Amino acid sequence: MAIDTSLALNSWGTFLVLLLGGTLILYLAREPAHKAIRALFEGLHAGLRLAAKALQRTRLLIAERNREVLLAQGREQAERELEKEFFEISKFVQRDLGGYPQLQRQMQEQVTRIQDDYERSREVPIPEPDWLDAVESIAKMKNGENPTTASDKILAQVHSSATQQHKENLAAYRKESAVRHRILQTITPFWRKLAYSVDEVGDRLKEIITRSQNIDSQMLRFNDIIAGTDKAERALKASAITQFLIAALVTAIAIGGAFFNFHLIALPMSEMVGSVQRVGGVKVADLAALVIISLEVSAGIFLLESLRITKLFPLIGSMDDRIRRTIMVSAATVLIVLASTESALAFMRDQIAGDLANLRASLAGAEAEATVVAGGISEWIPLAANMILGFILPLALTMVAIPLEYLLQTGRSVFGSLIEILLSAVAIVLRMLAGVIRQLSKVVINFYDLLIAAPLWVEMVIRKSRKNTDEDNKYAGSTDLSRTQTIKE
Amino acid sequence: MTIISLMGGCSDAPPEGYAKGVYLLLDTSGTYTKELTKAQQLINYMLAMMEPGDTFAVARIDSGSFSEKDIVAKVVLDSRPSIANKQKREFAAQVEAFVTTVKSSSYTDISGGLLQGIEYLNEAKVGNKTIMIYSDLKEELPKGFVRDFDLVLDGFTVQALNVTKLRADNENPQEYLDRLSHWSEKVVLGGGNWLVINDLDKPEALAL
Repeated sequence: MAIDTSLALNSWGTFLVLLLGGTLILYLAREPAHKAIRALFEGLHAGLRLAAKALQRTRLLIAERNREVLLAQGREQAERELEKEFFEISKFVQRDLGGYPQLQRQMQEQVTRIQDDYERSREVPIPEPDWLDAVESIAKMKNGENPTTASDKILAQVHSSATQQHKENLAAYRKESAVRHRILQTITPFWRKLAYSVDEVGDRLKEIITRSQNIDSQMLRFNDIIAGTDKAERALKASAITQFLIAALVTAIAIGGAFFNFHLIALPMSEMVGSVQRVGGVKVADLAALVIISLEVSAGIFLLESLRITKLFPLIGSMDDRIRRTIMVSAATVLIVLASTESALAFMRDQIAGDLANLRASLAGAEAEATVVAGGISEWIPLAANMILGFILPLALTMVAIPLEYLLQTGRSVFGSLIEILLSAVAIVLRMLAGVIRQLSKVVINFYDLLIAAPLWVEMVIRKSRKNTDEDNKYAGSTDLSRTQTIKE
Repeated sequence: MTIISLMGGCSDAPPEGYAKGVYLLLDTSGTYTKELTKAQQLINYMLAMMEPGDTFAVARIDSGSFSEKDIVAKVVLDSRPSIANKQKREFAAQVEAFVTTVKSSSYTDISGGLLQGIEYLNEAKVGNKTIMIYSDLKEELPKGFVRDFDLVLDGFTVQALNVTKLRADNENPQEYLDRLSHWSEKVVLGGGNWLVINDLDKPEALAL
């Protein structure tokens, strides 16, 4: 039965009765109502606090898990880098320092040859001529004996012989000097070679020092990770976020490339599989184009996996080399075939688009202009560009495996951190809400009391008067008692 | 289940939900024949906009239009774009031949043409059904012809194109307004949408 409220409120008598009755009921129910309100809000407060605590606990668990994942990934990466460094240094030692004995032998040989050549180039002093004593005797004869022309003749003869011998000696000396110079000239390359060998050894030793320093710093980082220090965790987190952002950016670029590639082949695919049929609202031709692009990406992933560049599928990396090479060749072949197919499709797309443009031009009555433009430079450049892009884009898409791997690896810790932040924020909000609700309970109780302010005032007055009476009685009682005591005394 | 659903999706059945169907009625009565050159441009524009799988038919509004022989040209565009382009060229040629050789009819059986259009598009099983009436919307029936029936136009859009004003409309515009409201009422009562497009220069006005 409907109650005509407006009529009831218009009647002042009814309104007064309702007001007084309601106030009285509210006054009588004050204590249980307060308890109920308090219980309700306390319950809400407790529930929210509990939820906040639960969220904080979950956040801590996730934080712990994130930390473990981050450290595990960091350890794995550090191990991989160290392994690579050790491999490189081992290769270097085997390749370069492994040949050191031979190099030493070569250097010793070169030193020996230089010594020999030096010995050979040493100048031998020219022996004094034997006839010097004879010349001295003849010279003495000149003073004692009759000076005749015989001694002059002998001396002249000796002079002539000495001059002749001097000439011969000079010629022999020049010849020997030339030989020595030639020998010394042949030493120069050996000197240079020796100097080069020494420099080379020095450079190699420097590289070893650099590499060993690098290994030292990586070992320090590795030890930090193993120890699970906060510093290592912070560094890994920062590195993960950076890598995640870069990988996300590169992946977004790759998706843009895939989108462009899709539009390049979607139209010609409709020529092959038709553009009418649909699956779930999507044209089969579009789906076929998407499948081709997905196949290219998959082939690219398998190629990089078999090359051990990425480790999305560890099984492939750990396969036997022969099988791995087979996978590599197969993936590369599939890629080349698909890229060639796309190039052909790009050519077909150009033909279809041209045909459509001609049709539209002819339908619009602009056939003359269309034929003038046909066959120009503006026709073959887009065609060539389409075909080149059709071939290159699938090959470029293969590289998406690298950022994809980074994205997957770093995504765990990045999303884990985000969840942590989110949980923490929600927990704080819940705690704030719990505080607000606790205060709200006081507001509601006070508002309730406001509604029954009149009876409460009456109650207060009565209590006050009663209290006064009690005090008066007490005072009267105490006066009588003192009077009785006085009488007794 | 997935394979079965995929196979079902890839079957040769026409794609009812996505294909467009357009049935264009051309008024060939009296002086309106002069407007057919403009109509040809409109048809060419519509053809350019059609996609593989769409259905397009052009029919004349004759003295008695509820007949297959009044269909000037019709086509269901092939799923391959190159074949569809060829079909469009043939269609345009048929329409051109019709426009150059058309003879005026004495009467205008718009109701019969509409009924024929409804049947045709229903049979074509297209998702988006549009009937275009290129006419002044003044119906004139030969003696003995009865067109007293309700149109069933659920899911149809009826567009009145280039509704020219007659001399009598100039004298009394109410006749023009009454004509429009008569057809609008008839279409809406049949469950269809009614549109009047007089400015054909706006391509967006003819967007399907």
